[in-house]
Parts: sequence; structure tokens; C-alpha cells
Amino acid sequence: MVGLQVSTKIEKEKIKTTSESVKKNVVLHTKDLNLWYGENHALKNINLPMLENEVTAIIGPSGCGKSTYIKTLNRMVELAANVKVSGEIIYRGQNIFTKSYRVEELRTRVGMVFQKPNPFPKSIFENVAYGPKIHGIRDKKVLKEIVEKSLRGAAIWEEVKDRLNENAYGLSGGQQQRLCIARCLAIEPDVILMDEPTSALDPKSTLKVEELIRELKENYSIIIVTHNMQQAARISDKTAFFLNGEVVEYDKTDSIFSTPVDSRTEDYITGRFG
Amino acid sequence: MVVRGQFDTELSRLKNDIMLLGNLVQKAFQDTMEAIKEKNYALLDDIIINDKAINNMELEINEKATLMIAKQQPVASDLRKIIVCLKVSSDLERMGDLSVDMAKAAKRLKDKKELQHFEDELLTIADKAKIMMKLVLVAYKESNVLGAQKIAAMDDEIDKTYSEFIQSIFEVIAVETGITEHVTQLAFISRFIERIADYCTNIAEWIIYEVNGKRFDLN
Repeated sequence: MVGLQVSTKIEKEKIKTTSESVKKNVVLHTKDLNLWYGENHALKNINLPMLENEVTAIIGPSGCGKSTYIKTLNRMVELAANVKVSGEIIYRGQNIFTKSYRVEELRTRVGMVFQKPNPFPKSIFENVAYGPKIHGIRDKKVLKEIVEKSLRGAAIWEEVKDRLNENAYGLSGGQQQRLCIARCLAIEPDVILMDEPTSALDPKSTLKVEELIRELKENYSIIIVTHNMQQAARISDKTAFFLNGEVVEYDKTDSIFSTPVDSRTEDYITGRFG
Repeated sequence: MVVRGQFDTELSRLKNDIMLLGNLVQKAFQDTMEAIKEKNYALLDDIIINDKAINNMELEINEKATLMIAKQQPVASDLRKIIVCLKVSSDLERMGDLSVDMAKAAKRLKDKKELQHFEDELLTIADKAKIMMKLVLVAYKESNVLGAQKIAAMDDEIDKTYSEFIQSIFEVIAVETGITEHVTQLAFISRFIERIADYCTNIAEWIIYEVNGKRFDLN
């Protein structure tokens, strides 16, 4: 009965998506996605549309498959051993699982920011210029422009513009995370995946990153995994609640946090389990 | 349930506080009507003085609810329950004020010619409102949507009786002289009773919102 409710909800969302598509396209459309780590069925029949210029929050208790899911969106999950996938993820009209699909191209278009800030042991400038250099940009003037634009985009330019040659490790945790976001922006992605990007940050840095996410969605589509319910409520447009590898509920964030349909969603967001 | 144990305990205490506030408001209304019936002017003074306790209690409930929102950051049904606590306590406080308004109007009836027929009718409307108040508090305590829905029908009945009452007052004023001030106070009191019934209906709407997350206009 509950499962039926969920699928109806998702069907409804598909319809909504169609009507919204005049303004917002579906960037990444997950269809009947299943994933196994060996015998472990980690993702079960996931159907989710991710809309352009929106923030989609993925919430759920530890081990529910949310990190696995976003790692599937840029095929990073395949780096683990014994992974088997079925179903489709359509990115801008193409199934990312087809043999001819270039994974490197996908990871350029679908960037990722991790839980713990992970700058390279290089200067602030080199951290941001690293990606564009790999992609063959050598012109110093162009690189400078990209670095400034990316650091501005990640709302950290003013704080680091006079110390671009200093080691990135000298930055605070919050600054390092925004630097990692700048590094992600430098390769001009279309979608940004964020796996608990503020869980290692203090409240002030967290709010800065949240503010940044709100600004970034003007130009990017963002998918964020978070354990912080209030954060999901504050910054996302849509929320998907994962439980035991399934999507229990997907809806507008306002609806999920005010009147969730499924009692399991209600119990989770009100802190009654998980 | 363990994780949110503290929240649930605080919420249950908050709801108990609202029930206590409800009892005070109910008593103020009952006493007012009793004082009007018995022409007990000392009791009317007590009602006016005791309203302070109702106002203070509402403030206490507001402070507790605000602290719970700040400390527990509730969402979904938890948030609705607290919002409804704030709304219901505010409506109850206003009902307390209406008892004060009635007591003040009733004091102006002192030494006036008796209009027993009208006063009896007034007490009949008040009896209906008293039942409504009692039932809505029970429905709130039990978060009972069906109970809340029944309140709307009772409000319609009170509205109808109130209109008839006002109509009959107009008819008497037209033919009888020297009673205008007296019947005007009675008309005020009847209006205050009708407003109390409206607040009961408001609370009924909040009960439905608390449970379903949807606002229904029962008026």
C-alpha cells in the first residue's frame, strides 16, 4: 500500500516535471535504477528526475544508499569492486551507461564536492587551475581568468586574492571547502554533486556554503546529500527520502517538511528514527 | 521514539498547559453567565480581575512554545502541533477577554428594568456556546478531527439564534421606549457570546490543521 503511494507520488512528479519543463528541463533522469555491490542490493528501482537550476536534497539514514546513488550519477561508484548496475540514467538525453559514453566527459560535466575538504597539497591558484590544465589549457592569462572566476563563483575570491600562491592547507576548513567548490567550478560543470559538503564545517562556514549553494543554482543544477534536515529544508527545492536503498518519497521540499505523505518520511524528518 | 522523547514530553506538557488555560477560560465564561443570571455584581468584578491570570498563562505558553521551536527545530507534524498550541492559546485568551467584555456590559445592567424574556434567551445561546467550548477542548485534547468537524454545525446554530435574538431586540425597541440602553447591552453580550462560538470554530479548524496539515474554513 505504501509502495503504491510512493510510485503514484513519483508519477505525479513526472507529470509536474513535464509541465515545468517549459522553464526547467530534466538534467539527470534516473529510470528503474538498480545497483548491487556483489550480493548486496544497494539501490532498488530508483526513479528520480533532477531539474535544471534546482537543488535536490537526498536525505535518509546511514546506509540507505544516498551516497551510492550520487556516486552513480557520475559513475564514480564503478571504482568500487563488484558493482553491477541495471536501469538508465539519462543525462541531457543520453544514457550514461551506454558503452560508447565517455566517462571522463561525464565527470567533467557532473562535478563532485566531498564531505571532507580535500584540497591538493598545492597553492590555492594551482588547486583551481589543476582541472583546466588537465584539459589542456596552458595560456596563463586564460588560467588566471578561470581561477578568478571560479574563486569568485565559490564566494572565496575576496578572502584569498592576495595569497593565491600560498598553500591551500593554510586555509580554514570552510575556506578549503569553498576552494574545492571553486576547483569543481573551474572545469565548468553542468551539475554539481555534493556529498555532505558541510558536515565537517562549523556553523558559520556551513551557512556560507549554504548561501553559496543558493547562488550557484542560478547557473548549475545541484544534488546534495545531507544528514542535516534543517539544511535540506533551507536550501533545496526538491527532496528525496531514501530508506534501505529505495526512494520512499520525492516531492517539493516544502511539502516533504510540512506534510510528508509517507509515515516513514515523517518519522525520519521528525527524528523518530535514523 | 526514544530520540525525540524530550520533545514529546515537552509537547505533552505544553498541551496540558493549554487544557488548564482552557479550563480557566471555560470557568470565566460560565461564571459570567452565572453572574448575569443571578445578578451577582461582585462575581462580575472577580471575572474582570481574574482575566490577568489567563493573560499570563497565555504568555507562559507562548514562551515555552518559542523555546521549543528554537531548541528542537521541529518539522512537519511536530511543528504543526506547536504552531497550533500558539494559535489555540491565543484564541482562548481572546475568549477570556470576551468574558471580561461581557462582565463589563452586564455591570451596566445594574438598576435597569428587568427584561426577563431577553435574558432567558441570552442564557440559552450561552448554554449552547458553553457546550461548544467544552467539546472543542475535548477534541483538541484528543486531536479528534471528527469532533472538530461537529463544532461547525453547532456554530451555525448559534449564528442563527443570535440573528433571531438581535431581530427580536430591534422589534421591541421599535415599540417600547426607555429600554434602549438596556437592550443595547444585551445585544453586546449576545454578540460576545457569538464571537466566543466563532473562536471555538477557529480552534476546531486548528485541530484539523494539526492532524491533516490542511486549513479548513468551518465558518
